[in-house]
Amino acid sequence: MSYYDIDSILTDAQKLPCTFELEVPGLGVLEGNPGEDIKAGTRIDLPLWLGEMLSIAARIGTSRLVTLDMPDALSERVMNALKADPRTVDLRALAPHFYHLSERILELFEEEEMVDVLTNTFKRRAAEIADHAHNPRGAVGGGVDFLRGLDEAERQLFRAAHDRAKEMRIWAGEAKRK
Amino acid sequence: MAFPLPRGITPSEIAFLAEMETITIVPRQRLEGMELLSGSIEPLGPPRRASLPLWLALLLKRQRRAHIIPPSWLHPEPLSLILEVESQHQDYKNAFSPPPPLPGQASVTDHETESIARPQYTPDGERYYAAPPFLPHNISGAGTGEKEVPALPFHWIEVGNMLLDAASDDLVDPDQLRRLLKDLREVRMAKMRSGVDALDAAATGGGGVALTGVGAMELGEERGFLTGVVDNLRKIGASKEQARREQLADQRANGGYGATQEDEEEDYMEF
Amino acid sequence: MDIDDILASVDHGPGASRESAAIDHQLLTRFWAAERAVSEVLPWPAPLMERMMDRVRIQIETIEDLAASSADMDPSTKHTTHNPNLNLRLSILQTDLARTQYLLRSLLRQRLSKLSKHSMHYLVKLASRSKNPLISDSQSQSQSQSQSQPNSQLTPGDSVPDISSISEISPLSSQEATFVHAHQTMLAGHFGGSFMGAFPPQLRRLDDNAGGTSMVQGPEMKEVVFVRCLVVEVPVVVPGDEGEEDHGVLMRMGDVWVVQWEGVREAWMKGLVELL
Repeated sequence: MSYYDIDSILTDAQKLPCTFELEVPGLGVLEGNPGEDIKAGTRIDLPLWLGEMLSIAARIGTSRLVTLDMPDALSERVMNALKADPRTVDLRALAPHFYHLSERILELFEEEEMVDVLTNTFKRRAAEIADHAHNPRGAVGGGVDFLRGLDEAERQLFRAAHDRAKEMRIWAGEAKRK
Repeated sequence: MAFPLPRGITPSEIAFLAEMETITIVPRQRLEGMELLSGSIEPLGPPRRASLPLWLALLLKRQRRAHIIPPSWLHPEPLSLILEVESQHQDYKNAFSPPPPLPGQASVTDHETESIARPQYTPDGERYYAAPPFLPHNISGAGTGEKEVPALPFHWIEVGNMLLDAASDDLVDPDQLRRLLKDLREVRMAKMRSGVDALDAAATGGGGVALTGVGAMELGEERGFLTGVVDNLRKIGASKEQARREQLADQRANGGYGATQEDEEEDYMEF
Repeated sequence: MDIDDILASVDHGPGASRESAAIDHQLLTRFWAAERAVSEVLPWPAPLMERMMDRVRIQIETIEDLAASSADMDPSTKHTTHNPNLNLRLSILQTDLARTQYLLRSLLRQRLSKLSKHSMHYLVKLASRSKNPLISDSQSQSQSQSQSQPNSQLTPGDSVPDISSISEISPLSSQEATFVHAHQTMLAGHFGGSFMGAFPPQLRRLDDNAGGTSMVQGPEMKEVVFVRCLVVEVPVVVPGDEGEEDHGVLMRMGDVWVVQWEGVREAWMKGLVELL
């Protein structure tokens, strides 16, 4: 996590489901009920940074204040879809910073299988990204949908690959600048 | 902004480096020797051959003051041979053909001798191991008497491209050369792409992926993509890598085997 | 250094100027490519840079003298000049000079850009070397300034470390050390004047690490680089805590590898691998 990195700040603002294990007086503001209490067992979507803080702080004490759940973007259903065919999943719709979010979640949960699924997903999609990035005519046909579904990290990868390939063609005289 | 370019040299900077390669020319006029910042230039006297940096050779060639003798690899026969190795040879299905050796490096075909690095010395008295573009990988081999295995030098795309551009009349069958270079590029590009699957090896500490034989421009073209993929894979696998490192540290602490008592969960067993 | 090295360094010592000009140029080229390849500022090669700057200065004089001699020539006799190659020689010398200057400029600008990006990191790094107890004292004071000094007077500039008495400034050159301090002081002044001055005093620091995230951002050492192995073999290492390190894969002479920078950094410092 980098202090000035906009992507990681935005990732921290993504919400995940949290369950309050204890009653907290006066914290109803989180639920949209200022002045009220939060009851034990209440489930609210909180930004990652807040949920993380509440759940970790609780570990020091005897009982947990808040337990975290997997965000929908990383649910069992999504993992199964990624196992079936990583290229057909619209990651951007799940979470604009899908991989950043997973990296943060994986710091909090021990999910070895998820690491493997995501690693494989990233590699399979990266190969596809390279093909599109090197195509001087840009995305055509089914490629457009695939590229629209790229998460932020993948977009940056596409741009990096595309820019270098283009510079190379410009140097070789195969393309013009601008 | 102080500097607008991305990390890692870009294609035009790579071409700038390639212009430092030494190539062979036959001068058409005399010219006294000169001391340049990049080194000495020998006196030119036709018809004696001379070795010059590529940028200077091209400058003379454009002014019709010299002919260029093509590098020994830039001929149809060696290129066809390399293309055959790259596309047919069993050992190089997923790898590039072997590059020209560094000074003191044993060649691939010679299993008897061992490599012994041959350093030069810097003015500060430190060892300096030369590498492209400062090795004679692009001079004309004719007359050296050495039997060389044809190999693509590090700056093959740039040197090939620039010579085809500025000195095609000095080359043997330039149209065929163009075709061969294009085929080589395609065959090798496909290898580079198919390597994405192996890249997680570079994402773990102490790991890496070999690209031996890759060309400078090929690296330049794929650099942003490759580093982007590996850096993302490293971040995705960070929690697993952390566990692996902790296990390594534990092994060290316990004389190589077993886990500490704190490790109640036995998640690390699969490593 | 073994006996071969000593003999060789005598053979090719600083006196061998022709050869050393070529090798220095190669070293500069290699250093430039390396500086372009990683996020951190590499150790400033002071002796090499001094020699290069000297040669550039001398070469400029040579070119000026040569150009003057061509201008002095009587226009009427220009066609029968003694040296028909004068213009050619001039253009070769100028091209060579321009190429070298390009390397130097690109190198310096790349370093400045890294320094401005990670200015606090480098200042903190230099300041932490201070052996002067007075300085480290005032530093620890500034950490706990909230007690020792009226809060309202705190400015972002107070978190800019003073490096004026630091003599060990590697990896920077002395000009770069001056630059990075001046740069950060101006930046802190600007931040203070334009918005941070309006913050509560405890939020005016530029080196805060509350909440587990430090404001001081350094270069990424784990990013991957491309290297060529220049000697018989070089292992990629896994740097551990307390100087412990594990060896990973083994690179062999002539190999090109994609590896993490921290795994080959030491080997690069020793000149055993080059960055591509």
